[in-house]
Amino acid sequence: MAGQQLPAGETAPSKPLRLRIVIAEDAAIMRDGLTQTLLRRGHVVVAAVADPAALLEAVAQHEPDVAVVDVRMPPTHTDEGLRAAREIRAGHPSVGVLVFSQYIEAQSAAELFAGYPAGVGYLLKDRVADVSDFIDAIGRVAQGGTVLDPEVVSRLLGASRKADALATLTAREREVLALIAEGRSNTAIAETLYITGGVVEKHIASIFAKLGLAPSDNDNRRVIAAIKYLES
Amino acid sequence: MRWPPWRKVASRAGAYPGYVRGVWTWLRSHPREADLALAACIMLATYGQARADPLILVVGAALVATLPARRKYPVQAFAAALVVAAIQILLGLAPVGGYYAGGWQPSDADIAIAILLFSLAAHRSRRASLIGLGLCLVLSAVAVVRWGPAHPLMRTIATGGAQSVSPNGLALAAAGLLCSVCLTAWVLGDTVAYRQRVTYLAALEQRATRLEAERDAQARIAAAAERSRELQERRALAVEDGAARLRRIERDLHDGAQVRLAALALTLGEVKENLEAADHPDDDDQARTMMLITAAHRNAKETLVELRDLARGIHPAALDRGLDAALGVLAESSAVPVTLTVTITERPSAAIEAIAYFCAAELLANITKHSNATKATIAAADSGGELGMTVSDDGTGGARVVPGGGLHGLRERVQTVDGQLVVASPPGGPTTVTIRLPGHA
Repeated sequence: MAGQQLPAGETAPSKPLRLRIVIAEDAAIMRDGLTQTLLRRGHVVVAAVADPAALLEAVAQHEPDVAVVDVRMPPTHTDEGLRAAREIRAGHPSVGVLVFSQYIEAQSAAELFAGYPAGVGYLLKDRVADVSDFIDAIGRVAQGGTVLDPEVVSRLLGASRKADALATLTAREREVLALIAEGRSNTAIAETLYITGGVVEKHIASIFAKLGLAPSDNDNRRVIAAIKYLES
Repeated sequence: MRWPPWRKVASRAGAYPGYVRGVWTWLRSHPREADLALAACIMLATYGQARADPLILVVGAALVATLPARRKYPVQAFAAALVVAAIQILLGLAPVGGYYAGGWQPSDADIAIAILLFSLAAHRSRRASLIGLGLCLVLSAVAVVRWGPAHPLMRTIATGGAQSVSPNGLALAAAGLLCSVCLTAWVLGDTVAYRQRVTYLAALEQRATRLEAERDAQARIAAAAERSRELQERRALAVEDGAARLRRIERDLHDGAQVRLAALALTLGEVKENLEAADHPDDDDQARTMMLITAAHRNAKETLVELRDLARGIHPAALDRGLDAALGVLAESSAVPVTLTVTITERPSAAIEAIAYFCAAELLANITKHSNATKATIAAADSGGELGMTVSDDGTGGARVVPGGGLHGLRERVQTVDGQLVVASPPGGPTTVTIRLPGHA
């Protein structure tokens, strides 16, 4: 599942998006690579910084559409990025935050998604290799969507903490749940799995019934419900 | 008390018959009873002589009464006896009345003075005993002067059996008797004292030798302890240094190879997408380039995954945020559901955290592979500067520590910092592995 492609263009509007972006990444080569890539796609990189303090300053100054944040940054190179991301989410609710990291931890994801789950994403750094998908994820976060790395989802599904309940899901329902946990809309799920929207809704109702969750019409709340359930 | 006192005791070959040694041993081990018995004997003899003058009984009793105190208070007992003797001489008491009355004569009780002089010589310094001897001789001189008509025995000694008694001969005999008794008592006592001094000195010497040997041993122990402490410190440094170096390698991988490779993958991804966009399906060259780029792109991504796994094996990044976070990552990705409880008030050193983490990782892997368990628990807590961790499962048990095995490797790893790893895994389960680690290496 880790290698699966994020389908492009799920939320792509008809006219090209022109996002104002702040990049926080301490490795210059990666920072420059990302900046160039985003510029080529017609976005505006308003600031590219290398540490959390500069990131917070840039966010406060520019109020960008989205901040792309590396987890490990100076001074201790542990989880500065994650903490800065939570700070941005608390102080600037309008700014989308996409955290990307060399390692993925469900616990960090849960912390990041805690509170209100709009405009937030958590991706493995490897995902930049699939450029369009990555840019697309940035776009979704900027528009208030939610992006969760497939690896987190697979790990949560692989962990059998809730093995009993999860075991009752059919293979198809697991696929759908994984896509839900990634923050996909029903339409996107239908496209990905080549099924109709009605069938997707049926699957989702079945999943939530089996997991004992009340269905909700809000995609983001569904994600959080799924994460919280799996994390419990 | 064992009875009778003359019971047979093991005797050295050729010594006295057993019962003699028995009595002797009993007397030696009961000095007060021996002295009382001696006093009673002397008193009994004196009683036989006291027909002439009851005062003799009183004086005799006073003399004999000092005997029980002779070992503990030799000077005081001797002085008291001397005073009593002086009074007795001045009073001119004579044990045999009648014909022989009219001057002082020794009674049997006076033997007490000799005994006390012996005690003084045996138990006190030579200077004190010489003073005592001198006093005895002075008193003897007074006694000779005050000597009464001779006792029949004295007469015999003085005259050699002749009937007439010359006063000079009598005085000479009396002086000879008293002086020889005094000197004999003193010499005997002094000999005992000398023997005791020799024994005491030998004991002192032996003690000094032993003390020296003890001091040597203690110095060696202290040196060994110092060396051990030094080695411990050096080992702690090596262990912590090893942990720090692994962390640095992981950091270098992260900041270097991993990030460069990610940037490369990004570039390759862009190239690939550009090629896809410039769609010329008929162009063989472009199809070939596309194939190559796709392969390179895939390789870069796969290498990223491999590199990440490698880095995680060297030093899990979550450990930087503490054992709690790192164990949480382990638990969330375990195939067997894990209940995790971590209560750590004071963070152990990095090396200790790493050891605990790798133990938990290996044990969880074992549980998944071998135990058929349906659930596992990890409990980690620190107390008194120590870190304790228990990993248990409800599986089939039968885990054993065998040389070269996984558990043995873990135990060796734990032992590098003087930790302990105990496995309880009866056939049929459950399995509990308890690990104790110091707070720092």
